[in-house]
Amino acid sequence: MSHAAADNLMLPSRSFERGVDAYDIKLGMWVFLASEVMFFGALIGTYIILRFSVDQPWAQPGVILNVPLTAFNTFLLICSSVSMVKAFAAVADGDQKNLKFWLFMTMLGGAMFVGVQVFEYIKLLGHGFTPSGYREGSQLAEHALADPLKYGAATGGLYGSTFFTMTGFHGFHVTCGVVSMTYLFFTKALPGKYSQQDYRGIEAVGLYWHFVDLVWIILFTIVYLV
Amino acid sequence: MTSVAAHAPAHGVHHGPTSFWRKYIFSTDHKIIGIQFLFVSLFFLLVGGLLAMQIRWQLGFPGKPMPGGGILPESMTAGGVILPEYYITLVTMHGTFMVFFAIMPLLVGVYANFLIPLKVGAHDMAFPRINMASFWLALTAGLIMFAGFFVPEGAARAGWTMYAPLSARPDLSGSNIGQKLWCLSIIFLGLSSILGSLNYITTVINNRAPGMTWFRMPLSVWALFITAILGLLALPVLSGAAIMLLFDQTLGTHFFDPAAGGQALLWQHLFWFFGHPEVYILILPAMGMVSDIIANGSRKPIFGYHSMVFAIVGIAFLGWMVWGHHMFMSGMNPMLGSTFMVSTMLIAVPSAIKVFNWMGTMWRGNIRFHVPMLNAIGFVGMFAIGGLSGVFMAATPVDMFIHDTYFIVAHLHYVLFGGSLFALFGAITYWYPKMFGKVMNERWGKIHFWLTMVFYNLVFFPMHIIGMGGQMRRLYDPTIYTFLKPQQPMNEFISICAFILFAVQIIFALNFLLNLKWGKKAPQNPWEDNGLEWTLPNPAPHGNWERPPNVYRGPYEFASPQVPEDYLPQTRKLPTDREPAAAGTGH
Amino acid sequence: MEAATHKHPNYVLIWLYLAVLTVVEVGVAFISHFSKSTLIVLLLFFALWKALLVALYFMHLKFERWNLRTIALIPIPLALILIIIVLQEGL
Repeated sequence: MSHAAADNLMLPSRSFERGVDAYDIKLGMWVFLASEVMFFGALIGTYIILRFSVDQPWAQPGVILNVPLTAFNTFLLICSSVSMVKAFAAVADGDQKNLKFWLFMTMLGGAMFVGVQVFEYIKLLGHGFTPSGYREGSQLAEHALADPLKYGAATGGLYGSTFFTMTGFHGFHVTCGVVSMTYLFFTKALPGKYSQQDYRGIEAVGLYWHFVDLVWIILFTIVYLV
Repeated sequence: MTSVAAHAPAHGVHHGPTSFWRKYIFSTDHKIIGIQFLFVSLFFLLVGGLLAMQIRWQLGFPGKPMPGGGILPESMTAGGVILPEYYITLVTMHGTFMVFFAIMPLLVGVYANFLIPLKVGAHDMAFPRINMASFWLALTAGLIMFAGFFVPEGAARAGWTMYAPLSARPDLSGSNIGQKLWCLSIIFLGLSSILGSLNYITTVINNRAPGMTWFRMPLSVWALFITAILGLLALPVLSGAAIMLLFDQTLGTHFFDPAAGGQALLWQHLFWFFGHPEVYILILPAMGMVSDIIANGSRKPIFGYHSMVFAIVGIAFLGWMVWGHHMFMSGMNPMLGSTFMVSTMLIAVPSAIKVFNWMGTMWRGNIRFHVPMLNAIGFVGMFAIGGLSGVFMAATPVDMFIHDTYFIVAHLHYVLFGGSLFALFGAITYWYPKMFGKVMNERWGKIHFWLTMVFYNLVFFPMHIIGMGGQMRRLYDPTIYTFLKPQQPMNEFISICAFILFAVQIIFALNFLLNLKWGKKAPQNPWEDNGLEWTLPNPAPHGNWERPPNVYRGPYEFASPQVPEDYLPQTRKLPTDREPAAAGTGH
Repeated sequence: MEAATHKHPNYVLIWLYLAVLTVVEVGVAFISHFSKSTLIVLLLFFALWKALLVALYFMHLKFERWNLRTIALIPIPLALILIIIVLQEGL
């Protein structure tokens, strides 16, 4: 692979026929994200289908789930998306210091998002909201018996099933993103291995991160607010 | 003959001396990975075949002790007689192994991996380490699935289609851990497939050699590329469904539980939304490779290359909108039944275009009946029969009678065995020299083809008849029904022919295995073909080419007036050819 | 934000849009005099607007070549077909 020093790896390879004007890793990430759209599409589609086909009422928004806390969490994730793109812009301009700073902020934001979600899960499970529905004998089950309309007693099982599956897999994806970013931060960003000629990993992980944010924007709306 | 420098073994990826483990076991070389898939998939093909033999024993000789049945545990056989619980496991796992661990990896795992970089002129796949991960995930998935046989209550039992709520309820199906292992295995396989597709798509889009424009790619590559897109977008839905099923089984969720507001039909919709593109995944690569082989065997360009490409794209596109034809009898909304009937009938058109184009290719060709050509022609005939029976099923009113009968079993085996498997026999023989540097024996290849063709038709054609006569799928003992008793001699006949058919495959197995060591050394281009892979030595070196070769023409320039030979390789430069635009620049 | 290959969009402005849209969304969700269907339409509208902002500007789709945009867009109609068809079961 005898090439001139400092080849700009951000440009597509000119040894080959013209593809999509994007280097391999970027194209690969987009292709992967297309498959993720189908995956979340199946999970979210299932939720939409089950919720709108069922006769009995669903629990009202905000009754079981903590909307204000999650609204803050949503804002946090959006902020981490902004810090991600700022890290990307920094390295594109050759600014190593800001790359490290903004990448670190993104990791922090992502980790905090997961932390808040875990906290939320623990509270919910404690109150009796489980993947199989309202746990018998729990506080939630009692409330549901007292006010079946507000708590969607008849559809509690479906609510639990869809809520935990969708947000659980989203949280898993966020975690994978944070882990990847941490790996890249310590093995490549910190030692200064990214440059204006090669910051492919940053762009790729950035695309993934924005996608995860995008999915959450949809999830937050249809799971917490509707 | 070639102008490409192909002698230097290592391209710039300078490895030091590589250990056996890094070279053959944990390899990132697409050719080695393809061969790994080949050996593992052939093993699972054998497993699927052995399961089929047991099914045929029970159907041909119900209630009689199976020879060798004594070695199976009490949970499966009683005194050598196959128990109903084991029979339904057999049927489930035969389908599962054949679809997911034999045909799919043989067509995609082997040939997408092996052929794509070679045929487009790349050094390797775009992401070699992800490629390696894809293989190991697939193998893990296969072992998890296989483990199902060794757990209490045995492997999964709800049919390869795993319909809920039967599959979600161990109290109904009788299998607990086995069902969960099925879901887990499929989740791993889904990930393996998605990672593979990622590689194939990126490599075809971005790593084509200079001059290898889209419409100069061989049809095998087009088919594998479109198949990769199908896999990329369909497997995640299956994974999602399998996750939901696993959660229903383990976490007490209610996705498919009607009592809690879930929908049993939801599973069917999700499964078949994946399942229909899946069957095109199981046939398109075969069609692509058959196109290459038929053009080569006819010494003529493929008839209607562009329409062949558009037919592949058309089949893939329409394939997303026909899944409900698997559900005509499910009780779904009748309006959907009509919608799916129309879309299904439409999809016959591009398939028919392909069949006519293969015939057009052979017409007035200078045909060489080598073993791959025989198998390819066999493919065309058998696929046509399978496709024709499909037209019956597409009509909802007809399907009301033949759904879940042996008519369907006949159809699916005509396209999967008569189609895909014959194409595989041809492809394995065709690219064997490239993979192993040896040739398979021509005479035994022909004997294998003819015997397989005869006995295969004797096994599966009568299934159309017994299916019309009312024999249902997954049936343990047809003789308990008075109306099926008259057909029992046909079942016996089918079973005996099936045993012979299985035995005949020993010829192929020996031809394949023995020639690995003792076969004749292969010339560089034994089939006198135009593809880029034949410009490399056998077996091809790591990294393929030093620099991507320049491509001057399409892949099917047979009988070209420009040269005295009856073939004209893609990379051969004639005085009248210009260099491609992207030639030899950059990194 | 200087240009290396092309001028960066104003990320802070986009962030502001997203923040405002989120606040509006949550606000709208708690206004009780919207009917359920109107509410759903409004909320989906805001969610899609936010999603588009992220996709077009943060993921740079606005500035990419048409064929990369196609790759990103292809799964969406497929997912919609699945959902719409299966929704017919409940009707």
